[in-house]
Amino acid sequence: MKYAFYPGCVSRGGCPELYPSAVKVAEKLGIELEELKDAGCTGAGVLPQYVSDPINARTFAKAERLGLPVMTICSTCQGVMAQANYRLKDDPKYREKINREYLADEGLEYKGTTEVKHLLWVLFEDYGIERLQALIRRPLKGLKVSPFYGCFLRRPPEAITPTKELNRRKAYLDELIGLLGADMADISGKGKCCGFPILSANEENSLAMVAKHTGESKEKGADFMVTPCPLCHLNLDGNQPRAESQTGKEIDLPILHLPQFLGLALGFNPDEMNLKRHIVSTTEVESKVNMMS
Amino acid sequence: MQVTFKVYRKDPEKDGKPTRSNYTLELAEDATVHDALLKIRDEIDSTLAFRASCARGYCGECMVRVNGSARLACTAKVPDYLKKGPEISLDPLRNVPVIKDLVFDWDAFMWNKIKQVRPWLEADGSAVNGEQPVSDAAMQDLRKVMSCFYCGMCDEGCTVLPVDFDFLGPAALTKAYRLAFDPRNKDSREQVKIVEKPKGIWDCVHCYEADEHCPRGIEPTKRIVALRDQAFKSGITHEAVARHHASLAASVKESGWVDEGRLAIESEGVTNIKGLMKLLPTAAKALARGKAPIPFMHSKRPEADRIKKIFEKAEQEEK
Repeated sequence: MKYAFYPGCVSRGGCPELYPSAVKVAEKLGIELEELKDAGCTGAGVLPQYVSDPINARTFAKAERLGLPVMTICSTCQGVMAQANYRLKDDPKYREKINREYLADEGLEYKGTTEVKHLLWVLFEDYGIERLQALIRRPLKGLKVSPFYGCFLRRPPEAITPTKELNRRKAYLDELIGLLGADMADISGKGKCCGFPILSANEENSLAMVAKHTGESKEKGADFMVTPCPLCHLNLDGNQPRAESQTGKEIDLPILHLPQFLGLALGFNPDEMNLKRHIVSTTEVESKVNMMS
Repeated sequence: MQVTFKVYRKDPEKDGKPTRSNYTLELAEDATVHDALLKIRDEIDSTLAFRASCARGYCGECMVRVNGSARLACTAKVPDYLKKGPEISLDPLRNVPVIKDLVFDWDAFMWNKIKQVRPWLEADGSAVNGEQPVSDAAMQDLRKVMSCFYCGMCDEGCTVLPVDFDFLGPAALTKAYRLAFDPRNKDSREQVKIVEKPKGIWDCVHCYEADEHCPRGIEPTKRIVALRDQAFKSGITHEAVARHHASLAASVKESGWVDEGRLAIESEGVTNIKGLMKLLPTAAKALARGKAPIPFMHSKRPEADRIKKIFEKAEQEEK
């Protein structure tokens, strides 16, 4: 089982704890990764489509040449690439234009066959849940966990949930929490935006969203929240102290990346999953996990 | 079939405190929520206030929350909401000033916002004898947007409005798109600038909830994204957003990927001491935990020059 690995900028930038955790977890699962080191930024939903589509087409062409599907560990990268890929696959004329104008120079061509999947989708759709369950060494019993998907991993339907069957994607994280032995602290905003995209345009609204989601999770008694999106992590973890000051309410909710959560259940120690690198202290989670092993 | 409706009530002439009334009634198997509301008012309680008009899913007047989700009462079939039990809750929209019972303030919800986007066309003056013909092809995309019947479902689904009711919202911004991309508009750039102001296109989180909610498939989020791309093309006028976009674009051009340390600083503005100071506590914590990316110490991706070339060519093409 092998993927062209697209780790994204944040997994080595603002969330450097993510990249090594994801690589360790993939290795443990026996998922082979060939990193696309020469691929560009997806555009992150910030760069306009006319810039990001050709850059993403180049990434897909590179993976296609390797004969591998792409695996991401970021809901934003996944969302932006899935939308670009939908346009390129759906409209051969558009794809040809991009090939001709942008990729031909480099001797590249995107034929429209590359699949792009987030690690969360890979687990359920390619790897198999039974296979994953067999590898669980530390069921996370007694931990209460809130899911937070990252809105780019939920919509728009043509790119994210193109068939009725794939509507299941909207519940993978909920399912995973149960599979790893933890209890669910469900929150109403799990599929909504974390506020990160408007941090520059309207910081107050952005922090209000952080407070809303993390506050609700805390009220539901969660030990932590888990997210497959490092940009959500930047806001929900990194800006949680500022959201607390804005609302005048203490929240103090640790946020774990998906691979960290998975890694703990696979038997890795909290230190091996770099939990200490977060802004919101994970000490309580660590001691609960250490008591299990 | 027998159904019980638990309906939100609020009477401004009494104490204005919300209560709930329960109505149990017999309905035909194909009844809609609108049918039920009419029956309640005609046969059980004439004081119940709600809005409705066309009764065929066209005018958008009867929007109400059925078991928590916004629906047009006239197209919502009652049996579809009985799967979890014999009771159905009916409520007005979230985060909207309620006038009475299910009647909420449409002006505050949507119309006042639509007024803010300059919702009329200022033609470019090329009309002959009062007519300005436009090709069918040029109007094809807009025709879809013009099918909007202002039901407000997109605003109801919006992620931003619950935290900031002053956000213009997808319905008004979609109206702005309809005008900005009209080939007869004499100054499309100005139309985009109007919605670049605070509470406009840059306050949208592009979470695509609006697209999922729109009953006409107009895809309001995609319209907002198109307005933003248009602003990017001609120079963003929202200062903070312009700094953020310029920094991200520069680091992708220079190195192929995003220099996040640089982005955090440049988004605030390198001379904005107050803005940078507020980043300090988090930055210090992040540094102590080996988490903060060091600004401008960013390695180039292999083949970064290729990415730069694509970026610059795309910008050139779009000019």
